[in-house]
Amino acid sequence: MEFLSPVWPSTTVARPPKRRPKGLQGVTIALVDDNLDAAFTTHLEALLTAEAGAKVRRLVKPSGTAPSPPGLIEEAAREADAAVVGIGL
Amino acid sequence: MELVSERISVDDYDEAMELVYERQWTDGLPVVLPTRRRVEALLEHVGRDPQECLGHVPPRGGEATIEKLAINAVMGGCLPEHFPAVLAAMDALLDPAHNLNGVLQTTHMCVSLIIVNGPITRELHFNARDGVFGNGYRANAAVGRGVRLALWNLGGAFPWNTDKATLSSPAEYAFCIAEEEQDNPWRPLHVERGCPEGSDAVTVFACEGPHSVFCYGAPEEMLHVLTDSLCGLGNNNVHVLGQTLVTLNPLNAEEFARRGWSKDDVRHYLWEHARRRLADVRACGAIHEQFRKMERDAGRYPLRYDLDNPTTRLPITARPEDIHIVVAGGRSYFAAVLPGWGGFGGFAVTRPIRRPR
Repeated sequence: MEFLSPVWPSTTVARPPKRRPKGLQGVTIALVDDNLDAAFTTHLEALLTAEAGAKVRRLVKPSGTAPSPPGLIEEAAREADAAVVGIGL
Repeated sequence: MELVSERISVDDYDEAMELVYERQWTDGLPVVLPTRRRVEALLEHVGRDPQECLGHVPPRGGEATIEKLAINAVMGGCLPEHFPAVLAAMDALLDPAHNLNGVLQTTHMCVSLIIVNGPITRELHFNARDGVFGNGYRANAAVGRGVRLALWNLGGAFPWNTDKATLSSPAEYAFCIAEEEQDNPWRPLHVERGCPEGSDAVTVFACEGPHSVFCYGAPEEMLHVLTDSLCGLGNNNVHVLGQTLVTLNPLNAEEFARRGWSKDDVRHYLWEHARRRLADVRACGAIHEQFRKMERDAGRYPLRYDLDNPTTRLPITARPEDIHIVVAGGRSYFAAVLPGWGGFGGFAVTRPIRRPR
């Protein structure tokens, strides 16, 4: 007997990852502020900057409950060595 | 008919079921096997191009083509005549106003409820009466589950993966009701929302499961208990507005109408009176405060409510029209409230059901 598949075959081809930084000193981190916990995000930014020596590029997402706009993702990928993509609650 | 879906060959039904489980193509219950004959019957019924795409289903972005939706509808138990309601529901769910991406992945337990209106509900025997949110009716179950399986297989929001619901809800299996339109003194939901009288439509709204409201007696008594039920501190609405749903049974509605209350009168009363003092709401903790601030910053929490004055009485929605009211269930003592997700989304969207001529 035969039946039809209910799913689409996965067409996502993983992009090659950026080279993983060996540490955080001097590294640019894109920190996506997803508006869910701004105080914690600010705390994290301070830790990354003051204690880890990273340069933080904070990108504000318009909504914590919708995906990041493509432009924000592209900017993070282009301008930073690594990223924190959101704060979950 | 040209179909593009992969054909899966198996020896028998048991092997097919095990394969469906192994590949995570089901929600945990067995499914109707989507054979080519069954799928074609749905496609022939609606007469639409099988490769027409209604959109991409989040979070993984599978294409909601008519063909894939027919396959999932068959798996959920749909007959051809149920399929137009599935298509209308999917079209509504994919409207950006519903924020399906968020609804499917939030930590909250909301699920998109499908409310069917129009003559189709009687022709196809959708349940709008006793036990309306429960089991036992093929149309409610099949349309509800067909849509859920489409979201499952095309969107791929699985628990413990991208579906982050803390507790979730049994409504994840199927969540579909019809509104009672004959034993109802008021305009039905879809007509209120702009559809012509006598037309068929579905409305989707992401909400919690029904909370029982012991609601019987004079309008003032019913309103007293409904207002209290709508503004429990556990509801997202109390903290971040959004939309909410009230289900009144036909006897409730009749009693209101007999005393001259229109549906809008009830809605406005509930909006004015289902409120909590900011001091009460603040006592819930800082994180609630943070969410409220986020909604204020995003422009969704009206400035007229002073969020620094502890005597401010906070509403459950920004506008009266964000309280949806449907009439359904048996003629008895109980109504229900179904709180929404809050200002984040899951908002009601209505679509006409396109039935073949």
